[in-house]
Amino acid sequence: MNLGSFLLRRLLMAIPMVIGILFVTFMLVRIGSLDPVGLLAGPTATQAEFDMIRRNLGLDEPLWRQFTIYVGNVLQGDLGRSWLSNRAVLTDILERSVASLELLFWGVGLGALIGIPIGLKAAFRPNGTFDQVSRIGSLLGFSIPTYWLGLVMLFVFFYLLRWAPPGMGRMSLMISPPDFITGSYLIDGLLQAEWRAARSAFSHLVLPVICMAIISAAPIIKHTRAIALEVMTSDAVRYARACGLPRRTVRRMVMRNSATPVITFVGTELTGLVGTLSLIEYVFAWGGVGQYGLNAIVRGDFTAVQGYVLALALFSVIVFLVVDVVVHLIEPRAGRA
Amino acid sequence: MSLLKVEGLSTHFISRDIDNRMRVAKALSGVSFALDTGRVLGIIGETGAGKSLTAQSICGLLKPPARIVGGRVTFDGQDLTAMSPEALNRLRGAQIALVVQNPRTSLDPLSRVGDQLVRIHQAHGRHSQAASRKRALEMLAAVGIPDPEGRAKAWPHELSGGMAQRVLIAMALMNGPRLLIADEPTTGLDVTVQAQILDLMRDLVQRFGMAMMIITHDLGVVAHYCDEVAVMFAGTIVESGPVRTIFGAPGHPYTQALIAATPERKRIGGGGAQIGGEPPDLYNLPSGCPVRLRCAHATEVCATTPPERAMAPGHMVRCHHAGALRDRTRGSVA
Repeated sequence: MNLGSFLLRRLLMAIPMVIGILFVTFMLVRIGSLDPVGLLAGPTATQAEFDMIRRNLGLDEPLWRQFTIYVGNVLQGDLGRSWLSNRAVLTDILERSVASLELLFWGVGLGALIGIPIGLKAAFRPNGTFDQVSRIGSLLGFSIPTYWLGLVMLFVFFYLLRWAPPGMGRMSLMISPPDFITGSYLIDGLLQAEWRAARSAFSHLVLPVICMAIISAAPIIKHTRAIALEVMTSDAVRYARACGLPRRTVRRMVMRNSATPVITFVGTELTGLVGTLSLIEYVFAWGGVGQYGLNAIVRGDFTAVQGYVLALALFSVIVFLVVDVVVHLIEPRAGRA
Repeated sequence: MSLLKVEGLSTHFISRDIDNRMRVAKALSGVSFALDTGRVLGIIGETGAGKSLTAQSICGLLKPPARIVGGRVTFDGQDLTAMSPEALNRLRGAQIALVVQNPRTSLDPLSRVGDQLVRIHQAHGRHSQAASRKRALEMLAAVGIPDPEGRAKAWPHELSGGMAQRVLIAMALMNGPRLLIADEPTTGLDVTVQAQILDLMRDLVQRFGMAMMIITHDLGVVAHYCDEVAVMFAGTIVESGPVRTIFGAPGHPYTQALIAATPERKRIGGGGAQIGGEPPDLYNLPSGCPVRLRCAHATEVCATTPPERAMAPGHMVRCHHAGALRDRTRGSVA
């Protein structure tokens, strides 16, 4: 199957998935204990005011009507207004998404860059010294609470050592951000040769990205090791050894054959770590979607929660789509499926 | 001098149990045989008898806890058991080539067939890419693959089982080996394809002047394709010799039972015997003859080590009663 028809099929498969997601996000808020009318009306409202707000919000309609209205609005890009910011939720999320994506991709990217080689090296000599050390390291990464790690890093590198800027946003307040190209201050700064802005953006990125990398590297180490070990005991690798292929060739073969499951796993990491991302954003006052969503949940801003969950779900759909395409490209067997 | 000579090869699995007591499984105890160029040796025995382990011990493919604890393997005058892993690695796939079962999963799923052939050629000598490619196509043609050019571009998952086995044989031939070890090469293939593959291998042994060892549990394969046979039981060779002699007059009660138990024998009414009993526990082998617990002819003397008794030139039987049993009705053991 060529890439075009594969992509088309996967996109078609995404449609029912998205409808399901819409239904779940819709129901999530309906069955929750949130009372938007009460929140909006405030404690002193009269019954007449209550009824009016209910009508305005469309909450007097039957549930299925509400759902079709919701789907219709979402398809037109209307996710409702957040009563916290009094702005369209879509605008809020879009504005913040680049900040989150930047942190997530640098963090998990660095985590993969550290985790995959460590996992492979550990697998090449199972139970060797390196394996034992890496096992302890990944166990630490698993067990450290995210917010604690973030706070301790700020305490050490900002408060004690003054190596890092304070955990307050993506850039120093004293520097004006570069013009909008991608939305990433670092990349935009570099593209426009605004070195001061780029430097500031970079120095603000360092701690949260390292934090994210540590949290994401732990499972990547563990899974890469397990995947590589399984490949190493496969018929193909055993036969390659029996053919007297040099060790380097065999190792390269192990790495190549581990690539598909490792890439798939890193993809699931990207989507699975959005919870961790929220906490890190919170600690570093990052102002991303995660922090926005967390705030919305705490404050009961139900349209924002709905939008946040929908955005996360769509993000997962996109990530898995990209992972599938990458796997399709590197895997000769994929064409058969 | 024989191309391959195995003398008293013993391989044990040495591990520790949960109480840290040493546990030793005597998987091979004193295996000896010799193989000359141009000959095909069949190694036959039930599951767990040590057939594949013999092959792995020869090639140095043992993984801990398995270890060679005694004996010598002489290949072309060099002792393989004393060789460094690197030197053995250079020999494997070059002088000694292995053909395994599960050919489809044994090929690298992420490389095209031709590239894998080239890779093994390049791993064992300095050849130009073009020379390796040419050799690969020649070998694909030699194993009877139609359209070698096209097949070289195929991915392993596009091959049928029989085709994949031919590719594996082509890989084995790439570096002009002198010894071919085929470990159940036709298990899992269709019967008609089995015959084609075995015919091909038999033919290649003659054409390229190799020796071949076929590991199988199919007596029919041994009878049709081998010159010599070694019957293994619980890590020892209980009987070995020319195929004709052994099938004509098996000396060991176990061999007799094995031959009597073949479906062909059943059909013509000559026995239809089953070999009763379980294979012995390798952690706790019986003293003396390993077969004695399952042998109807066992006497007290069998509890001591059975002798290597030469029945005829080249025909060895490890049984005290071999001579006496020979003239009786065959296949009535156990």
